[in-house]
Amino acid sequence: MNVTSAINAAIEQVLRDTAREVRSIEPGMRLAADLGLDSLDLAQTIVLLERLLGVDPFRQAAADAPRPSLRTVSDLITIYSAASSHKP
Amino acid sequence: MTSATNSTIENLADAPAEDRLASAIGIVARQFPDRTAIVAQAGGEARRVIDYATLAQAIAKLEAELDAARPLGIVARAKRVESLVVIAAACGRQHVPVAFLAEDARDLIGELQDWIAIDDSLALPAASPSQPRREFESVPPQVVVATSGTSGPPKLVDHSWDSLLAAARLAEQWHGLGWLLVYDATRWAGLQVWLQAVLTAGRVVVPASRDPDVVVRAIGEEKVSILPATPTLLRRLITSADRAALAGLTIDRITLGGEAADAQLLEQAKELFPGAKITHVYATTELGEVFRVTDGKAGFPAEWLSKPLPGGVRISMRRDGELLVQLSRDTAEVGTGDLVERRGNRFEFTGRRGDVIVVGGAKVYPKRVEELLRSVPGVADARVHGMPSAITGELVAAEIVVSDPLPEPSTADQVRTAALAVCREKLEPHAVPRVLDIVKKLATTPAGKIPRR
Repeated sequence: MNVTSAINAAIEQVLRDTAREVRSIEPGMRLAADLGLDSLDLAQTIVLLERLLGVDPFRQAAADAPRPSLRTVSDLITIYSAASSHKP
Repeated sequence: MTSATNSTIENLADAPAEDRLASAIGIVARQFPDRTAIVAQAGGEARRVIDYATLAQAIAKLEAELDAARPLGIVARAKRVESLVVIAAACGRQHVPVAFLAEDARDLIGELQDWIAIDDSLALPAASPSQPRREFESVPPQVVVATSGTSGPPKLVDHSWDSLLAAARLAEQWHGLGWLLVYDATRWAGLQVWLQAVLTAGRVVVPASRDPDVVVRAIGEEKVSILPATPTLLRRLITSADRAALAGLTIDRITLGGEAADAQLLEQAKELFPGAKITHVYATTELGEVFRVTDGKAGFPAEWLSKPLPGGVRISMRRDGELLVQLSRDTAEVGTGDLVERRGNRFEFTGRRGDVIVVGGAKVYPKRVEELLRSVPGVADARVHGMPSAITGELVAAEIVVSDPLPEPSTADQVRTAALAVCREKLEPHAVPRVLDIVKKLATTPAGKIPRR
């Protein structure tokens, strides 16, 4: 599964599991302001993405590494694309 | 020959605790040599029956070897229950310390330096000349048991034979009964079951596996009337075994232990086994049995916190909800790691301190979430545990087993959606499972409990 469709699928499941309206997800959308995702939703998204893509870039990141910006769907795509390409 | 030669098992309690097991087996072996002591692999192809005479002979042989070698201590490395019985009985009467190490506690053998391991061959390895021997009888014989490691790595706990046998019931009404052994025979709970059975001329029935249908077959075929189990194992039996086969069983007693029993499970058990007396034992490997609840309700009566219990035990609650136990006036108060909460005129268990899941700084008690999930129509069983998260520290994760057949007209996916809806309605947002998987079977620990990590 490619990164973008995995991210769409994960966010859709989070919205469905929390009984919220599932709508089409665009890269420019802001996770909190546009999609209404809070920290629990984001934590769930990351677990689902680990299952779909086999990586958790947030856990694997070194503790002193700078926290990447995580505001939009496209930030997620960037982070997971980088992590997936480094996958051994 | 011992002083108990002419006695009967009725006055076994007069014998020193360390002699009792060997004496009891000897008495039964003389009166009823062919009586079945152990049925191993019950309900399976490789069913094996061991009678009391066979046990008594093996004990006499091992006792002679122990008497000659005088080892510092024996580590019971055997897998078969009959071997464990023989090792315990022989070591007890020969005043040799004995240790039972469950599979996950084998690393602790280093703490028992110079003790000798005995396996199912029941033979003492040839002693090397440098092997230290016991010179004096002054040290009371001890029994070492490993904790189950439910809340931390397993550790070794020293017991006297008196404390090991303190909960055994020797009165006549307990004689000659069939006991189910689904616990690991090397752990405290398992030891209690086979010691009780063999001390009272009964049968230990060990099912070939923990598969619910095999267990039910073993209970039926071997006429088991007493069923000691963890709530997790009983719940699995009730939810997964063939209904007709279950309904055909005659169980006199169900003794639950190892975990808290919830009201729903107690109700289900009462309904399925109307003739059974259901007891909930509160015990730990370190403390032994603390109290038992026999009224069939969850938790224990609130007034127990203000009065001494049978045996002089006192219980109290720390401000944070942890149950404290003082076994007697001369011993210190000990924290149990179990959290309790007052509900009406009862105290109910909310979970183990170490099981608490912390989501974004807020606490979640997995047992409460499990109970809620099990109340959803179509959910047969549930397990809740914490999952690490870089965002919130931990996340609540759950596995459910859906009932078979499902209530019409739902699908497994609809049951999952309904379960999430119930959790959203009844729980704080952080306590709602964020990972909810449908599985065929829930994992259990070797001790038959719910794994929380």
